[in-house]
Amino acid sequence: MNAFLTREQSASYAEFQEFAAANVEPFAGEWDRAQKIPDSAVSLLGQTGYLGACIPSEYGGKGWDVVTFGLLNEALGRSDSAFTGILTVQSMVSTAVLKWGTDEQRRKWLPPLAKGELIGAFALTEPGVGSDIQSLTTGFKQSDRDGGLILSGEKKWITSGQFAGLFLVFGKLDQKPLACLVPRNSVGLEIEPIQDLMGFRAAGLARLRFNDVAIPSASVIGKPGFGLSHVAPVGLQFGRISTACSALGLLRGCFEESTSYAASRRIGENRVGDLGMIQSLIARMGADLEAAKLLCWSACRAEDEHHHETFTRTFIAKYFTSQAAVRAASDAVQVWGASGCHESSPVARYYRGAKIMEIIEGTTQVHEVILGKGFVQAAIRKQLAQRREASS
Amino acid sequence: MTNDTNQVSESIRHFINNSINIDGLGDDENLFETGIVNSLFAVQLMTFVERSFGIEIGMEDLDVENFKSVSATAAFIRRKSPDKAEAAVRKERETTP
Repeated sequence: MNAFLTREQSASYAEFQEFAAANVEPFAGEWDRAQKIPDSAVSLLGQTGYLGACIPSEYGGKGWDVVTFGLLNEALGRSDSAFTGILTVQSMVSTAVLKWGTDEQRRKWLPPLAKGELIGAFALTEPGVGSDIQSLTTGFKQSDRDGGLILSGEKKWITSGQFAGLFLVFGKLDQKPLACLVPRNSVGLEIEPIQDLMGFRAAGLARLRFNDVAIPSASVIGKPGFGLSHVAPVGLQFGRISTACSALGLLRGCFEESTSYAASRRIGENRVGDLGMIQSLIARMGADLEAAKLLCWSACRAEDEHHHETFTRTFIAKYFTSQAAVRAASDAVQVWGASGCHESSPVARYYRGAKIMEIIEGTTQVHEVILGKGFVQAAIRKQLAQRREASS
Repeated sequence: MTNDTNQVSESIRHFINNSINIDGLGDDENLFETGIVNSLFAVQLMTFVERSFGIEIGMEDLDVENFKSVSATAAFIRRKSPDKAEAAVRKERETTP
């Protein structure tokens, strides 16, 4: 992928890797065991400006292209997918506000999000609603008092929910999907931490309960009826790009840790890497890594170019890379043997974290439905066009 | 102007025909009421319009009436930015062999 990068993108990538090696990698295991990322680490992410990567400079952000954003996620994902999760949801909230917010909303919310003074969370999933987002039960009703709304319902599995200061919440108003911003200190909002996840344990997941929370009309993002068709897809698109690139970093971590171990660990006179069975595992990992790099780069480029295939390419990148990460993590543990089964090894954490990449921002199976159906429909369109041409 | 109008509509029609399976789509046929589009179509159409015609769709443009059909989308583009719509058409003419 490096061959496709500009000089500036390559320089930024080197900076991101340096940051991750110094500030994330040495602590990722500790954060995982504590199931918490310290406030100081989140603050550091804000100070670097990385949380404002996708926000234009006029709102205090970096205004980077999406390829650079992808590289940032890859570099951080190499060290800790949970830490990268903060960046994922920050970009989801920021891009939704940037695209569908009013001028006033953008001026109010984007600068603190860009500087990391405010951490965002994307509150879409519910206890009973995951992939089928059209079935949301969280509801809004008109307030009798000030022209605002009243929000009631529950959200679950919300990344960064434990420490976020601002939630982008999705629900329905008279069956019309609606999105709105809800500050953490809103009266009637209860936040319950979710502990003991298999992986991604430090990502601060939470369950949210909205008990008749008053929502001023100025907090609505977009318009009633467009919450799921326009607001959510813009955020989810960046969520998928971020997750795909984070999984790419995890995949690279598996490859590098496996090759390094195979090159140094000895069995009698031989290195582990001299064994054909180990070479097979590493070969698949390396080939998957190269393929995933190209798919992620293609998805980021399509988003930069505002290409109408950007959604499809992102689905493909996330679909392939998250599964490749799971395969690589499993094989990395195999290469490391007993050492890989202990929490002192990085690959044990990769193994638990990789599976989460296949679940968040759309499961592998949801991706298969969308992509499979799309590919078959494209073939049908081609046949229809051929028939029209033959009959004319 | 009539030719340009037709070109804008043709461009949208071409995009839609490449996105959904429907034979002989009418320019006034409601894309969303007939259930022929999937959940991603709305943002895909928006992305196509923004890129092809160099316009930015924002909160104030969120109205089903703006994108419900080929004719409605073409009219929206001309209202939003007539100059850019014509420039996009000219560019397409120049690059089409």
